[in-house]
Amino acid sequence: MKKILLPALLFSFFNYSYAQEFQLAPPMLQYSSAFFTSSTTVSLKFEQPGTQVFYTLNNKESTENSVTYKKPIKITKHLTTLKAKATGKGFIPSETVQVTFIKDGLKIKSVEQSLPDEKFPGNGTRTLFDNEGGIANLHNKNFLGYQQDSVEINVTLEKKEKINSLLLDFLQDQGNWIFLPQKIQVFYFDDKGNHYELMEHKEISADSIIKGSSNVFEIIKASKKFISDKLKIILIPLQSIPEGHPGKGKPGWLFIDEVKIY
Amino acid sequence: MAALMIKPPIPFKEDTVLGQNNKRYKIDTHWSQADVSRYPVNDCHEMVQDSKGRILLLTNETKNNVLIYDKKGKLLTTWGNEYPGAHGLTLFNENGTEVLFICDNSRHQVIKTTIDGKVLMVLDYPKETGQYSKAEEYIPTETAITPDGDIYVADGYGKDFIIHYDSQGRYINYFGGRGDEEKHLLNAHGICLDFRDSGQPNLIVTSRQQNAFKRYTLKGEYINTISLTGAWVCRPVIKGDYLYSAVLQTNSRQGQQSGFVTILDKNYKVVSNLAGSAPNYTNGQLDEMYQTIKCFDYPHDVCVDDEENLYIAQWNSGKVYPYKLSPVI
Repeated sequence: MKKILLPALLFSFFNYSYAQEFQLAPPMLQYSSAFFTSSTTVSLKFEQPGTQVFYTLNNKESTENSVTYKKPIKITKHLTTLKAKATGKGFIPSETVQVTFIKDGLKIKSVEQSLPDEKFPGNGTRTLFDNEGGIANLHNKNFLGYQQDSVEINVTLEKKEKINSLLLDFLQDQGNWIFLPQKIQVFYFDDKGNHYELMEHKEISADSIIKGSSNVFEIIKASKKFISDKLKIILIPLQSIPEGHPGKGKPGWLFIDEVKIY
Repeated sequence: MAALMIKPPIPFKEDTVLGQNNKRYKIDTHWSQADVSRYPVNDCHEMVQDSKGRILLLTNETKNNVLIYDKKGKLLTTWGNEYPGAHGLTLFNENGTEVLFICDNSRHQVIKTTIDGKVLMVLDYPKETGQYSKAEEYIPTETAITPDGDIYVADGYGKDFIIHYDSQGRYINYFGGRGDEEKHLLNAHGICLDFRDSGQPNLIVTSRQQNAFKRYTLKGEYINTISLTGAWVCRPVIKGDYLYSAVLQTNSRQGQQSGFVTILDKNYKVVSNLAGSAPNYTNGQLDEMYQTIKCFDYPHDVCVDDEENLYIAQWNSGKVYPYKLSPVI
């Protein structure tokens, strides 16, 4: 009896001990652009039997108590953030994947900007106000890529309007040396004085290294009320990549795909 | 004793099953029994099985460029210290004797060796093509050898040409290269011979950045393209009726350890993605493929052994040894 049982026990021990729990990959987000005029739709894909995708639209982390994804989601509200996660029995839940949808603002007539690097020229003269982009891939044609000391963007609106805020959409892909700008300055044209006045400025610190590739938007709010049809944006790309990155001390790249005025 | 039988010593947990349809596998990430302090690996680039059933692994770790295992993962022997850019490994049975062809990215050479590492032939950069002015422009990644011994070299990290030599290493012709036409290649990372069509053997070449395989005649005439939407496929590996390929990463998640393994049937249709999305065709077009389970980081090659087990070598994945996958019946 013992002769039979011992090998059986040993067999079961080795057979069970190697079972390993893996993490699911995040679900795939499918949308044509993160920018929209009246509405847009987003799909979630995850072709893995025995798993489900949960999501939220209220900026909270998705959990197993969130809504289960079944069909494409319609987005109508400005700054709607979709957060989604895949889960399944026998797997560690995936990391969260997220995207924020951004609604069109005041009508822009034209945008003129510093000449980008020839490898990342964007997608024509309307690149920064074509409602296309928000896809975190440096090869996406909607990005203008810069590696220079400063970038100037001049926006002209269709007409003079009361301006409350401005949104700039960037790519953050530090593995490819693409960082957020270290400084953003926004000026508006003051008709009365016939010169540009500072609207607001913002500094962004880059002291930690962030993995992966994502779109990051920055909102600049006007501290005082004004009416204008011309804005000047000065972006200072990161001048010195922080410690912990292979490019330490060297300048970073700046990638931008959209400007919105509200 | 009977009481012990009631409960297994380790809580029961089902194995993760990878893949779909008739190509499903269990994974063993601890297959290699090599002592990491004595036999380290860097990038594990490619693997082959020899006629003795041994599994040969090529790594760009010059302490031991070739590690030779048995199928159970026991390390039998190692050799090689002079291949800093060891990348492509092809096994060829030359009149009953097995030989190896190594593509070295750093040396800009293809080296033919015996199975235990004695150098038999070195092919330098192909200046005969008129396409190269110096060795550095040529970064060969893979070879394919015909039954007659003709050698095809894929310059997958150089200019993407396929260079054809006879068995003595004499230059014959070249094809492929970069451009806008269907016959052109972008990152011609792998090449193999396909004998599955009994009438006519063909070449299958990887065009990795185009997420595709491209088929050519042995003379280098373009036949057609097999799109593998979203997938950075490495070399094609044919065993029986099936074509296996490691997918280094996906287009949508570049630089994010998004690899998996894809398997195509005789009609070049994807039938299974191991740790990847269930393949689906819409109006005859393959839907974009992507990783679903994080088993792999950057798979770089698949070796299929005589019992249909798979061995997966990985690039830039924390210097891990290969994983073994066993079929689930």
